[in-house]
Parts: sequence; structure tokens; C-alpha cells
Amino acid sequence: MQYKSQAVAKPYFIAAIGLFVGQILFGLIMGLQYVVGDFLFPEIPFNVARMVHTNLLIVWLLFGFMGAAYYIIPEESETELFSPKLALILFWIFLAAGVLTILGYLLVPYATLAAMTGNNILPTMGREFLEQPLITKLGIVVVALAFLFNLTMTMLKGRKTSISLVLMLGLWGLAVFFLFSFYDPANLVLDKFYWWWVVHMWVEGVWELILGALLSFVLIKVTGVDREVIEKWLYVIVAMSLITGIIGTGHHYYWIGTPAYWQWWGSIFSAMEPIPFFMMTVFAFNMVNRRRRDHPNKVATLWALGTGVMAFLGAGVWGFLHTLAPINYYTHGTQITAAHGHLAFYGAYVMVVLTMISYAMPLLRGRIANSNKSQVTEMWGFWLMTIAMVFITLFLTAAGILQVYLQRVSDTPLPFMVVQQKIALFYWLREAAGVIFFAGLVTYLASFFVKGETKAITA
Amino acid sequence: MAQLGVASVSFKAENPPGDLAIWFFIFAELLVFGVFFIAYAVARSHDVALFDQSQLLLNRTAGGANTVVLITSSYFVVRAVAAIRRGDAQRCSGWLLGAIGLGAVFVVIKLAEFHAKFAAGITLSTNTFFMFYLSLTFFHFMHVVMGMVILTAVAFKARRGGYSAEDYTGVETGASYWHMVDLVWIILFPLVYVVH
Amino acid sequence: MRKNAQTAHRLRSSAGIWLLLLALTGMTISIGETGLGGAWVIGLVMGIAALKGYLVSGFFMRLRRTRLLWRLLMLGWLIGVVGTVTTVCLTAVK
Repeated sequence: MQYKSQAVAKPYFIAAIGLFVGQILFGLIMGLQYVVGDFLFPEIPFNVARMVHTNLLIVWLLFGFMGAAYYIIPEESETELFSPKLALILFWIFLAAGVLTILGYLLVPYATLAAMTGNNILPTMGREFLEQPLITKLGIVVVALAFLFNLTMTMLKGRKTSISLVLMLGLWGLAVFFLFSFYDPANLVLDKFYWWWVVHMWVEGVWELILGALLSFVLIKVTGVDREVIEKWLYVIVAMSLITGIIGTGHHYYWIGTPAYWQWWGSIFSAMEPIPFFMMTVFAFNMVNRRRRDHPNKVATLWALGTGVMAFLGAGVWGFLHTLAPINYYTHGTQITAAHGHLAFYGAYVMVVLTMISYAMPLLRGRIANSNKSQVTEMWGFWLMTIAMVFITLFLTAAGILQVYLQRVSDTPLPFMVVQQKIALFYWLREAAGVIFFAGLVTYLASFFVKGETKAITA
Repeated sequence: MAQLGVASVSFKAENPPGDLAIWFFIFAELLVFGVFFIAYAVARSHDVALFDQSQLLLNRTAGGANTVVLITSSYFVVRAVAAIRRGDAQRCSGWLLGAIGLGAVFVVIKLAEFHAKFAAGITLSTNTFFMFYLSLTFFHFMHVVMGMVILTAVAFKARRGGYSAEDYTGVETGASYWHMVDLVWIILFPLVYVVH
Repeated sequence: MRKNAQTAHRLRSSAGIWLLLLALTGMTISIGETGLGGAWVIGLVMGIAALKGYLVSGFFMRLRRTRLLWRLLMLGWLIGVVGTVTTVCLTAVK
């Protein structure tokens, strides 16, 4: 690494991976609970496991984004980080807050947690993905603002590049939209309307900027392609993301009680949301094709290409499958949704963070790339996790199609639980794939400890 | 050199005028509008009577005038590009300001149309026809405004001497975007205001 | 000299295109005024629109002088969108 202060990224990456493991463990618990209903009941009821699984996902991705930003901004700005000390303090605060929150979910009944943490002052709890107590949410805001301050000060005193600008825009956007988690109108329609201003504007909005910036950074480093070429692609991709994604929010407004024109606006604009993802895939392959150097970190290149493909498949294709209003009418809130959600989150955000870690961690540990043996192990991890996730998605899609047909489309619709019983086979298959995914994750972890001759950093 | 000159006159230029990136946007925008137009046609086919009936309430004169305004502004932009190709930055800026002026005329006419509709109590929720009419024209309106902003930036840069006969890509870029805005309206007007 | 002649030619032809576009617009407006409807009118009006689109994209946007790819993309859009829209409208005519 070029600047000493980039080293602060390391603890962030380690925490990210640790929380990722936790997330998957709870995923496995839930997968089993789908078919063995009272597994771990009452100690870890399904709804608690779900909160832990989803919240851990978001928090570890945030740790990943922060680590990536601390690594990228100094290098792009060609100056040391404004305050490495602040970065480390924030790390511990965020980690502590995260751990305490998860423990709160697990050890205390949710209503008690709400009472304990002052939810009566300003009620913000109880909504999906935003289950955190008020103090945790406030903590997140403080950590985010300080984080942004640190990086913005760094950028201001150094060089401004497209990558750093897009990354900071995405991160500032992330913070701004998170503020909507504090706004919970009494009117249920408005409640849901604004909920998406956090969720959609994150994953189908500003997070795509972060994704583009991270991917561009790694591609510049491993391919050596002209910065100007990559930056131009990045701008076009970002513009397409915003053009399609902002009004595309409407694809969440079909059935919640908002006016019917959202069914048109949401369908037309969100139908085009796959375009930036398609462009990212073409972009990634194009850059690698016309690379000017053969970077020794082969596995990082693999992750980068994989991100493009899987993000397009999960977010783009699977998203498109159920985005049009007439189709969504039948598939809304089914296993189709779950299938899309898993492949999209994994393909876009899990993979881009792992791409970044794959590229940066060796450098943070003093070498340009890991040993061949280590890289091969990591590649095994990549393939096991990715293929397993594809199968999870396929099984859930199959379950979803059956569910939609039996529960909604057929001339003699069956009740929810009856249908759940009928699609149980696919839940078992999904769990099996989940176990393989976990095996892939363990393999991935192992790669960090595989020895062998590493390549020195030259020039 | 003269021979090269001859060759370059008859030889087709490779890429479209302006920065290649703007052409990505242009086609992306055309795609969005195209899908919107098709959605309109499909929605119309489900309730032709409603669409024909509601269409009678539209101000076709305003729509027609706006078509003339945009086409003429596009022509002005063509003249502006021709001027900068000759190295005449001041004329270029002049023609662009003319185009922007016409754009402002479009904006005024359109706002008057919207005002009249809202005053009559028509909104996005009145019926499917008006949902499309208001959405399509508003969406297009935003692009006219964006185009005016772009042309203004280009006009001022030209006036300051930022472009020359050797380097006028920026002018062509802005021009191409404006033509796209005109192109979309050329389809929109007959489809929404006339076809019944 | 050659450049001036070329420029003059270009200016004359762009003015000509402009006038043609205005004339076609006038036709469309007139048809609108008559209140006529039905298959032939729809086809005619949208056909005029497609022609105008071709003129703007080909001459004003100078696509006629570019690589085939770009011309095909634009032509594809014109034919695809205007064609689809016209077809859909025509199938709805009773």
C-alpha cells in the first residue's frame, strides 16, 4: 500500500468477515427452521434469527465499505488519511454498537429491548431491516458522519478523481438516506413509502455508486488500463443507475396504497435498472481483455469479473423477472422475492466487498499478492460460494413459482401454510446448498492462513 | 494535404458528433421514452373511447406550436455548430442563445398548458390518458430544461473563446442532446395530441 | 474555397430540411384540425412522425454520415418504436 494510514482498513475488513460468518450461521439456522419449525425454539425464534441474519449482513457490508473507503481515498487523493486515530476509534464504537445490538436481539425480548433503549422517545423500531434500537441508529449516524468527515477532509487536501468523487457521493448518499430510518409516519401507506427511501435508495441507488467506484478502483489496479477510459465508463454507469433507479423506486409502490400511476412509472423505469449492471459486466470484461499488465493477484481479478456477472444476474435479471406490475401482482412477497434478494445482495455487494478485500488485504499484509496456494484456496472459496448461491437462488425460484401458482394463480388457490408444506422439498434443497455455501466460506477463511511463497511488492 | 482534404470530404465520419458518452445517454433516453410510448399505445388500445374522449381536452394548438418551436430551435443549433466549424465562436454563441430562447418559449407554453389542466382539476389520477399525458410531457419537459442548461453552458463557453474550429466537440455534444429532445417531441406530439 | 462552398451547401440543405420539417408539422396539425381518425389517418400521421424523426436524426444529428452501427441503432429505434406504436394503435381500430 502506498500510504501508511491505509492500514486502518485492515481491522474493518477483519470485522466484516467475522460478521459475515455470523450472518451465514444464522442463515443456516433459519433455513432449517423453514422445514423443522421449532428448531431452536424458544431460545432463538425465527423472527429473531431473521433480524440477526439481515442486520449482520448490512453491518458487515458497511464495515466492508468503510474499509474499502479508508483504503481507496488516501491512494486516490495521494495523501495520508486525515485522522487514522479517528478511524480506529470509530471502528471500535461501531463494532461495539453492532455486537451489543445483536446481543440485544438474542438475549432480550424485543418489546423489552424497545423499552430499555428509549423507543418511546422517538419510535424507530419494528420495521424490517430497521429493527435497531434508537441509540444504535443514532450511533450509526454519528459514526457515519465522523467517517465521512475524515474522508472528506482527506479528499479536500489532495487530488480529486472520478473514483473518489463517485465513492464519496455514494457514501454521503448512504448517510443521508439512512436518516429516513428515523421517520416513521403513523399512516401505514406513508410508513412504507418512506421505508423504501432507505432500502431502495440504498441498494438500488447510492450503493450502486459505491459498487461502481470499488470495482473501477480494483480494475484500474489489476489491469493497468488507462484511468480515463475507466472513469468515462464509471460516469455513464452511475448516470444510468440514477436515471433508472430513482423513479424506479416506484416498483415498490404498486400495492401499498399509493396512486395507480406508480404501477406505470415503476414498471417503465425499473425495467431498465438492469442496464447499468449489464454495462458493469461488459465494462469489467472489456477492461480485463485490454489489460496492460498481468497482475499477480489473479483471484482479485476473478472476484471483480464475478461481481459483474453475478450482480447482473441477481440484481438485473432476477430483479427484472418480477419488476413489472402485472407480474409483481402475483409474485409479491413470495419466494421469488427471496430468490432475487439473495442473489442480488450476494452478487453485487458481498462480492464487491470480497473483491476489495481480495485485492487490498495482501497489500495490507505486505505483499502484492498471496501465494499461489493461497490464491487457489481462495478461488475454491469463490466458486463454492458462488455456485452454492446460484443453487440457493434456483431452488427458491422453483419454490416461488410453485408458490405463486398454487397460492395465487390457480383456479383453486390453496392457503399459505398448505402451499408451504408442498414446497418443502425445495427448502431442504436450499438448506443443502446453504451448507455448501458455508463450506465455501470456511474455505475462503482458510485461504487467509495458507502459507507459501508470496510475491513481493515491486515499484 | 489537399489530397487528404479531398479524401476527408467524401469519406464518412466514423463516430457520431460530440462525445461518445453522450450518445450512450441519448440512446438510453430514447429507450426510456420508447418504452413509455409503447406503454401509452398499449394502454390506449385497452380503452380507445376514453383516450379519444380525453384527448379532445388537449390544447393541440399549444402542442403544434411547441413542435414548431423545437424544430426551429434544432435548426438554430445546427447553425450554431456550422458556425463554430468555421471558427466563428460569437455567431455560434448567438445561434445557441436563439435556440435557448426558443426553448424558453416551449417552457412557457408548456407551463401554461399544465396550469390550464390543473386549474380544470385534472391530475395524474384523473384517468389513464391524463396519467400518460402528464407523465410523458412532464418527463419530456424536464429534458427540455436539462437541454437548455447544457446549451447555456456551451454558449457561454463559446462566447469566452472555449471552442475553435479545431476543437468544438463540446458544442456537438450539447447539440446532439438537444436534437434528441426535439426528436422525442416529434413522436410525442402526433401520438398523444393527434392520433385517434 | 472548397470549405466555403461545402459550408454554403450544408447551410442551404439544413435550411431546406428545416422547412420540410415545418411543412410536415403543418400537415400533421391540419390533419388534427380536421378531426379525422381511423386507420389511414393514424398510419399517415405516425408515418410523417417517423419521417420527421429520420430527417432530424439523419441530417440535424448528422447520423447519415456515421458508421453503420449508429444509423442502424437510430433506424431500429424509429422503426421499432413508431412501428410498434402504430401497429398497436391500428389493431385497436374497430
